[in-house]
Amino acid sequence: MPNIITAINLSLSYEENEEIISNASFSVKKGDFVFITGPSGSGKSTLLKSFYGNLKPQQGSLTIGGLDMKEIKKAKLQELRTHLGIVFQDYRLINEWTVERNVVLPLWIAGYSKEIQATQAQRLLHHVKLSGKEQKYPLELSGGEQQRVGVARALAKNPFLILADEPTGNLDEFSSNVIWDLLENACQQLDTTVVVVTHKIPTVFNINYRHLRIDEGGRVHEVR
Amino acid sequence: MKFVKQHLAIILPMVAILLGLEFFIVFDRSTKSYEASLANSYAMLVVAKEEMSIDDFRTWDDHVFKVAEIEKSKIINRVGASFQATNAQNINEKMPNFYSIKLDSYLNNKELEEVKKNFLKSDKVTRVETFDTLHQSNYGLFSFIKFSFRTFIVFMTIIGFFLILKQMEVWNYLHAERMKVMDIFGASLFLRSKVLINMAFIDAIISAFLTSAIFYFIQNRWIEGSNIAILQDNIDKLFTFHDLFTLIFASIIIAMVAVFLVVINVKEE
Repeated sequence: MPNIITAINLSLSYEENEEIISNASFSVKKGDFVFITGPSGSGKSTLLKSFYGNLKPQQGSLTIGGLDMKEIKKAKLQELRTHLGIVFQDYRLINEWTVERNVVLPLWIAGYSKEIQATQAQRLLHHVKLSGKEQKYPLELSGGEQQRVGVARALAKNPFLILADEPTGNLDEFSSNVIWDLLENACQQLDTTVVVVTHKIPTVFNINYRHLRIDEGGRVHEVR
Repeated sequence: MKFVKQHLAIILPMVAILLGLEFFIVFDRSTKSYEASLANSYAMLVVAKEEMSIDDFRTWDDHVFKVAEIEKSKIINRVGASFQATNAQNINEKMPNFYSIKLDSYLNNKELEEVKKNFLKSDKVTRVETFDTLHQSNYGLFSFIKFSFRTFIVFMTIIGFFLILKQMEVWNYLHAERMKVMDIFGASLFLRSKVLINMAFIDAIISAFLTSAIFYFIQNRWIEGSNIAILQDNIDKLFTFHDLFTLIFASIIIAMVAVFLVVINVKEE
């Protein structure tokens, strides 16, 4: 299986001389399900941000889908992002848009026709068990439902890599389990690589996963 | 209601700026026409030893627009109709030549003095009368009105710009999150700002038409009923069809610059 993510001696920082991730080397293969854990402030979200190009490597190298994230140009980064699915802890839905419009955002950006967008929206919302909520607005939904919309949006364009930042951080147990199921399915059925940043790995998890842990010094260890 | 408020928040300051712009255009056009009529009714008097042509005067000063010789016989007739024919003939021969000179624009006293000096540099010119006292009082009043009106226009435009800056902050608050999310999913700058561009574009067009409608009303209803001669004389110069395009162009430029500034200030988190 080819590597989807390759980090070699990767260091990340927001300001000089203040390394958050220090000298990390690891790789993630196609179809892997990876949990990244660590104490608060250890740099889990920072590492994830570097995967979608929101933070450039300070030192070392980081390759995502074969693209060097240190040297990547804006246009190439935009193109890469259209092939990623990103899920946030605070959902980051567009509140003035309907659920349907939020879900098809990646398809709209890619220029798909309205018919395809509508069909995909129906399919995805059925998949995340939100059929009938197409014309609702995010703020009319519960937190769990909003996160399911977020996952549907992340799956919309069949991404090769899903990045999820504490996707169940704000949810109750039931809603959390629904989200884990959706991410498991994406990995198992679509062979999508999934990287999840979380402070707690779910106790019941049905697929073989990998576990990377970041310690307080910003070093990344392979636990499993 | 929220929808109307959002649009009015940009339309009103835009109309204020466009009113300022259109007032400036109309005022400039009207004052130019008034200045031309003042310049046309003003003439200098030049006394010269020899006969002069317009080219002679123009070599001394390029403000000269028109030269008319005042016939000596008319002066003699006015001074004394009782002169005998031979005396009148002698006076006519010894009298200098008188010229009425019109200038190409409405000059201030300093510039008039400059023209006078240029004429007097020539040995052929013996005297120049500029009638500067009357001219100065007209010019002073005219300049004061012009200055006051321009100050008002500048003030109005500045207020309009401040309101637009305020609206840009509101836009940033309303649209930044959407643009950031779209950026994370790989949307281009144009796609990210498309909603804002569409809204600003429509508001810019509405503002331009609204401003044009105000001027059209002033031109076709208000001025007709008023008794302001200068406005009634220049009614066709107040608002032209061409101005509509100027206003549309200006409002679109202002709106797009505002949108661009908002969009480039939305930073990734």
